[in-house]
Amino acid sequence: MLNIFTRIVPLALILLANATTHAQDDYKLGPDSMVQPNVPQGTVTKHSWTSTKVFPGTVRDTWIYVPSQYNGKTPAAVMIFQDGAAYVNTKQSFRVPTVFDNLIHKGEMPVTIGIFLNPGTIPATKAGGKPRRNRSFEYDTLSGQYARFLLEEILPDVGKQYRLTNDPALRAIGGISSGGICAWTVAWERPDHFSRVLSHVGSFTNIRGGHVYPALIRKTEAKPIRVFLQEGSNDLDNLHGNWPLANRQMAAALKFSHYDYRFAMGTGGHNGRHGGAILPDSLRWLWRGWNEPTAGGSKKN
Amino acid sequence: MERTDRRWLEKELNQPSLLRWPSSTASQDAPHMIRIASLAALCLLMTLPAAVAQDMPLSQVLVPGEHWQLVGSGYRFTEGPAVDRDGNVFFTDIPNNRIHRIDANTGKVTVFAEQTARTNGLMFGSDGRLYGCRSGDNQVVAYDSDANHTVIASDIACNDLVVASDLRLFVTDPAGRRVWTIDAKRNKRVVACGISPNGIILWPGEGTLVVTERNQPHLWTYRIEPDGSLSHREQYYQPLRLLPGQARPGSDGMTVDTNGRLYVTTSAGVQMFDPTGRMGGVISKPHRGSLANVVFGGPKRNIMYVTAGDRVFQRKTRVQGAVHFLKPPTTPR
Repeated sequence: MLNIFTRIVPLALILLANATTHAQDDYKLGPDSMVQPNVPQGTVTKHSWTSTKVFPGTVRDTWIYVPSQYNGKTPAAVMIFQDGAAYVNTKQSFRVPTVFDNLIHKGEMPVTIGIFLNPGTIPATKAGGKPRRNRSFEYDTLSGQYARFLLEEILPDVGKQYRLTNDPALRAIGGISSGGICAWTVAWERPDHFSRVLSHVGSFTNIRGGHVYPALIRKTEAKPIRVFLQEGSNDLDNLHGNWPLANRQMAAALKFSHYDYRFAMGTGGHNGRHGGAILPDSLRWLWRGWNEPTAGGSKKN
Repeated sequence: MERTDRRWLEKELNQPSLLRWPSSTASQDAPHMIRIASLAALCLLMTLPAAVAQDMPLSQVLVPGEHWQLVGSGYRFTEGPAVDRDGNVFFTDIPNNRIHRIDANTGKVTVFAEQTARTNGLMFGSDGRLYGCRSGDNQVVAYDSDANHTVIASDIACNDLVVASDLRLFVTDPAGRRVWTIDAKRNKRVVACGISPNGIILWPGEGTLVVTERNQPHLWTYRIEPDGSLSHREQYYQPLRLLPGQARPGSDGMTVDTNGRLYVTTSAGVQMFDPTGRMGGVISKPHRGSLANVVFGGPKRNIMYVTAGDRVFQRKTRVQGAVHFLKPPTTPR
């Protein structure tokens, strides 16, 4: 017995130490994140947007993904990603265009136009002046301003080139970190326009007061929003809050108020490795039943 | 944000706008954005792609064991702390019509000017003069080293001001609900209205102007255009900390440090914001009385000074105040 103990325990400790120091972010992408033969590929175009109404003076890069199945006749579903550069990139963790190609091909999500938006900056006119970086203001602020930016500037503009749905059940929004809470805020403020939210390591912390959402969710009549929350146990713990605890609070509040939610707690840190690895499954869950008449919305609504 | 995570996220959120992008990519680019990936290595070589902000907790500012120290008391209402090239700090005692000077090395407080017509906001210009708001006679003036003053502009119910490196002034006029600019040739005009402005400050680099309103839970930012006009107003710094039961933060004077942090005096204390507009912490008030304004002084500009009712306090910090007068003026006034 003693012999087993002296051998097994140190071994277990070494394995445990290895697991926590090396493997916490060791997530692997699956085949749905890889280009597959015989799956048609959509196209991605890069644009820029200068805001004149909602965030006046800001400029930002944007990308539009159009699936090969888009026919210009049937209005396409829409999914909008914040920090778009991270999501549209097909060599890093998320590879949304590739994942969309594969899932749309299999009918696991609708024919969806992807809109990828970087946060805005207001460049300085004065030589040597720093640009005003608008990311935190746009993403972390608890208000309907960013939703208004999407509804009054971005969607009408993309809608000039492509037929987009107006059905909130077919409009999804996602983001990472502050982009995650931004996605939630958009749906929370305008559930009449967005019903599916994907949050990766979302900043439901006190950057600009976002830590109050669990309390608000518990004491507000449930809204027709379906939410996928991804988080990692080694995520941030800083002046704004503790990300794993904040996401647990969100998940508990969503459960309490009977939202249609899923909470994927991994072991990673403040990055997209876990979120990227499970992105195909996350999107399958988020879009499930998309072609049924009662798609989307809260269970109790 | 933890360093390793930040590096990853910067990579993930790299901003290709920083790259020279071939114009052909505005058209269709299939398969997906291969060029982005081919340029990813280049992105990694660039410092701080602007997507992710660095966290700036109070621990980067405060020195453990260092607290507020009384610099002087017995005044009636102190305001307008301004640092000169050597780190001496000047402040005004508005009702007593005096401007005082705190020596950077000895800490000794002496009278610099008297009969100052209720001079309020103060700031040094790159010409070495001390610019001030003589609220008693509605004049913006410049004091030379002998405390003789020259009128820069009249008929402005001025409260506070900031002096750009080219000696352009921005001046708040709370009663008139407007912000003025006065150029180096002393031409004045209104560049913002419809708010009740109070404190005013420029970012390091002078691209952005920040203005406080005492009753609003945010601070305004404006872009400064080449002709001195202001554009793209935004409630960038928000929310401010409010005391329980109060709707108004009482935000007043401001200063900035060399890392772009902004400090604003409020009823709750000195609130510190990072350059992306996120509140990073509240420094406790030195006493239960009011808090009007703040500046960094001392030979290294690392001592925070606050004017607080009938007193002035200081405390040592780990940061350095930013000033706009280190470059000599191109066109002396």
